[in-house]
Amino acid sequence: MVNAVRWWGGIVVAWGLVGASTLFLPVPFIIEVVIFSIYTMGCNFLLGRVGFISFGQPAYLAIGAYGTAFYMFYFGTNPYIGLAIGILSGLAASAIVGPLFVRLRSDYFALVNLALAVIVFYLMQKVLVDITKGDNGLWYLTNIASTPILDISKRTHFLAFALIAAALIWAFFKYIDDSIYGACCLATKVNEDKLLFLGYSNYGVRLMAFIIANTTTAFAGALYAVYLGFVSPEVTSPARAADPVVVTILGGTGTLYGPLVGAFAYTGMKDVISKLIGNWELFIGFLLVFIMLAGEKGIWGTLQPYLERWFSRSAKAKAAEPHTAQDAR
Amino acid sequence: MTTELLISGVIFGLSIGAIFFLMAIGLSLCFGLMRIISLDQLLYYSVGAYLTYAVSVGTGNIWLGVAAGAATAGAVAFLVERFVFLRIYERELTFSMITSFGILIGGIGIIKSIWGVVPRPVQVPTLAQMSVFGTDVPVYRLIVIVIAALVYGGIWLFLNRTIIGKAIRAGIEDVQHVEGLGINVSRLFTITFIIAGTLSGLAGGLHAPLIMVDPQMGLEVLAFVFMVVIIGGLGSIKGTLVSAILVGQVVSLGSLVYAPLAQMAPFAIMLLILLVKPTGLYGSTLVKK
Repeated sequence: MVNAVRWWGGIVVAWGLVGASTLFLPVPFIIEVVIFSIYTMGCNFLLGRVGFISFGQPAYLAIGAYGTAFYMFYFGTNPYIGLAIGILSGLAASAIVGPLFVRLRSDYFALVNLALAVIVFYLMQKVLVDITKGDNGLWYLTNIASTPILDISKRTHFLAFALIAAALIWAFFKYIDDSIYGACCLATKVNEDKLLFLGYSNYGVRLMAFIIANTTTAFAGALYAVYLGFVSPEVTSPARAADPVVVTILGGTGTLYGPLVGAFAYTGMKDVISKLIGNWELFIGFLLVFIMLAGEKGIWGTLQPYLERWFSRSAKAKAAEPHTAQDAR
Repeated sequence: MTTELLISGVIFGLSIGAIFFLMAIGLSLCFGLMRIISLDQLLYYSVGAYLTYAVSVGTGNIWLGVAAGAATAGAVAFLVERFVFLRIYERELTFSMITSFGILIGGIGIIKSIWGVVPRPVQVPTLAQMSVFGTDVPVYRLIVIVIAALVYGGIWLFLNRTIIGKAIRAGIEDVQHVEGLGINVSRLFTITFIIAGTLSGLAGGLHAPLIMVDPQMGLEVLAFVFMVVIIGGLGSIKGTLVSAILVGQVVSLGSLVYAPLAQMAPFAIMLLILLVKPTGLYGSTLVKK
């Protein structure tokens, strides 16, 4: 029981805080943060745990978003089925390209993924223009039917749904991090010969990680699709290819709460700065260079040791209190 | 398909391939010697194109613009190398990739704030047509092909006949050994980076009259340049030439058969080659030491 509290505590507190911040922050901003942090989680897992840098995350985001959008535009009205189709299309796409990609060295992996993102962009913008409507995008906001219990066509309900989903995803990734599989992922990053020696297949571990991470990204795409009610090729534009990588590094690579902190900081800065100067890309670019040169620990990576020390001190104080009381008696 | 269409298609493909070659050679050289992936080459391409636009509008001479573009791109590359790359050479390869992507995005931001987001046209230096096997083809495309061939010859001579070039080739084999021989590797890196940047700028300047100049142009050719580098193999000049010609022809002839093929076919070829040979056609199996 105590273990369960300790295990779930951090995740519930983190997402509870995000939920509570709707009291003084606008709801669309919070929704943006939640979706963005799910989007970044996939990249964070790949980069921090498996050591694969992926500039191709927008491709999987777009696949998830378009999977949902095609269903909502042409076939049905139930947003939950749309989300499921988005996740399935992400799963299918990563299972198809995964076996080809994960055999590559890290540098080729990054190049090939970026090429994939650009290709998906062309595919959606030009090649499949008959079904995707090209740059105009697919608009289907009115197609989204309301559903019983949690009606995600409403904003507040959508936020609740996104928060629950995010907490579950975080629990899932925490579980993976603690499991033997998570240790294998770390081993394939640090020392692949050793992992081979222990009897695991590097290829298998990496393929699994690739599929998990990109399905998570596709889920974020599906959430975007349902939330915005429209999808255009802009989601996979090459100019935004670095976004998840920037946020991952900004938050703290490989940490559990890094993507959340990074997404919060990034979305916040974007809102504030894009009001001051129109040239948002300039800022991201130099921010990225600055973070890389200043050391790549990120916000959460820097804060975590302080927080841990603080918590362990207060826990110690609590543990010591009854003791002293007894002594006094 | 008629012969005339075929010949003009081949010439078109060669000229596109020439541009890709000039750009990919920078990425390839930087990877081979310094073990960095320098995505900012795409920025020097845009810089070259914009300088060509600005100078050709100012003076009316496009060739002067191309020269100014290449020189400025080289100068920008020098500054970037001094201020950023010098600090990250010893880091992991992915590190350089992220940082250079930051430079690329930031540079595009600067270009947008100077010239705005509207695409600008650049005049073609010569509108003359020349007859090749009975088909009229634009002379400018032939000039582009000749320039790329000259650059390939020049790079080959530089790497095989000069002492600096030989040092660079030795560095591609084993950097520490070269350093042990008392050669200033840091200076070698700077020279290679400037060459790479200048060639990317040249590619941008030559490409500018064929397309519109706009801030996102670097990102538009990005996929093709990547495919050229991946198919040819990182770090190999010969592989880059072969795959640039291949990709150029596939783009050009593919679009004659079925227009969307121009973008998709190179990608399919890339996947096929990676399936057979994960390091590309002539790629080195070296990893970062």
